[in-house]
Amino acid sequence: MSAALDQVRLDGPVTDQTALKRCAVAGGRVSVQGVGGTDALLAARLEAGDDHAVAEVFDRLAPAVYGAALRVLGNGAAAQDVAQDVFVELWSHPGRYDPAAGTLRTYLIVLARHRAVDLVRSELRRIARQERHDRLTPGQRHPSPCEEVTAAQAASVVRAAVRLLPDGQRRVVELAYFGGLTCREAALAAGIPEGTAKSRLRLALAKLETLLDRQLLESS
Amino acid sequence: MTAGGRERVVLPTGLRERVLEASRQARAAGHCAPEIMAISPAEAFSRAADALFGLLCALSEENWRMPALRGLDVQGLVGHLIGVEEDVHRCLSGDPGVAKANHIESTQSAAARQAGRPAARTRADWRRAAGRTLDLVHGFGDPCAEVAVHGMRLPLDALLVVRVFELWTHDNDIRRAVGLPASVPDAPALRLMTGLAARLLPHAAARTGLHEPVNVHLVLTGPGGGTWDVAIGERPPDPVSIRIIADAAGFCRLAANRVTPADLDLHVTGDPGRAAGVLAAASALALD
Repeated sequence: MSAALDQVRLDGPVTDQTALKRCAVAGGRVSVQGVGGTDALLAARLEAGDDHAVAEVFDRLAPAVYGAALRVLGNGAAAQDVAQDVFVELWSHPGRYDPAAGTLRTYLIVLARHRAVDLVRSELRRIARQERHDRLTPGQRHPSPCEEVTAAQAASVVRAAVRLLPDGQRRVVELAYFGGLTCREAALAAGIPEGTAKSRLRLALAKLETLLDRQLLESS
Repeated sequence: MTAGGRERVVLPTGLRERVLEASRQARAAGHCAPEIMAISPAEAFSRAADALFGLLCALSEENWRMPALRGLDVQGLVGHLIGVEEDVHRCLSGDPGVAKANHIESTQSAAARQAGRPAARTRADWRRAAGRTLDLVHGFGDPCAEVAVHGMRLPLDALLVVRVFELWTHDNDIRRAVGLPASVPDAPALRLMTGLAARLLPHAAARTGLHEPVNVHLVLTGPGGGTWDVAIGERPPDPVSIRIIADAAGFCRLAANRVTPADLDLHVTGDPGRAAGVLAAASALALD
């Protein structure tokens, strides 16, 4: 430690991409055995700010992450956005991944699916807002082909979830949301009191939230 | 479909570059996450001194007589630390006589002076000496000003981190001597220590005769860790690259020459011979 510190050089990242190996050093000699980088080690490297680690995780798991998002969204551009979000999230908050709770692969795939489902939900909300707006404003605007495709995908996901509801709840949801009936009209059509129709709708909406998650996750 | 029933996914062109660029924008490489609160080297020294004082207060009279290091018992080792503080006082007071003094020889008389004294006196002397160091540091002004002591010429802040290294190392020497479990500095202090050890690697390598150029991607994991790219040796157009991954506290023990590379859970990529040289250089950072 006798030299002045101003001679220390700190340079940019190196580009070494060779396989990670475990090294045992004894008496100044090193023996190296090839081993895979474990998820715990990768997590520790990410926490330590090792940018090589995030590249390695991408190279290993990006197809699975992108594929998971693509299966939910059916849209390559949106799936790329989700994949980017997932890897940036991992790099920004590596401590949120707990190696004891599961593999990094599972964690990232679940994260990708959640992000994709969020995107679908957000799109559904946007469509609903647009429809309300269109009903209340004169002059109908024709949706773009892209909007039509996205809406069709979202509708398909929701209809699949609705099919999993108990019969009574499904009937009210179909009448009220797909049939466009008011709650009173749906109650009349289903032959049940209006209060019952309202409570079934409430239960159905709560259940749909859970079912949507599960269905979208299982779909991939 | 693949044999496993899953569709083969082809990644869109450019996605890798896009993701890595977005990652770099979101968080700079090198720093650990979550970020730890930075402390000054003076604060780290103060904490290390408090920790050692706490340990000394917990020792029995019998513990003070236990052999600790280089033929010194625990009391003699604390005497050595008193001697180091006294030399640091002289350094901070502008005395050039300690610039090239040997770290061990210069403190031998201070260590010997403690023999046979009541432990409480030795403990109080050391506490006073560490407190005096902090007083001088606070009155010194520029923490980046170079100072020279025990063969080192370095900024005051760096000297304080070297002192944190030494207090922690001897704290653990004493713990080992009396059968107590090892201690680890808190993350902010450890971060200062790992940063200094990484920056000093090229100098340590030069001292150990490691002149062949090598780029070291050093990843120190755990609290107080981080990532550094360190260039060792003279730079040809295309130097060899190695990657060393180790636990932050373990690497500091290596830099303190208290463990060998074989004791660490090391992960190395690249030329193992070069890696061994770099790790040996890290051990040479120790003052002892």
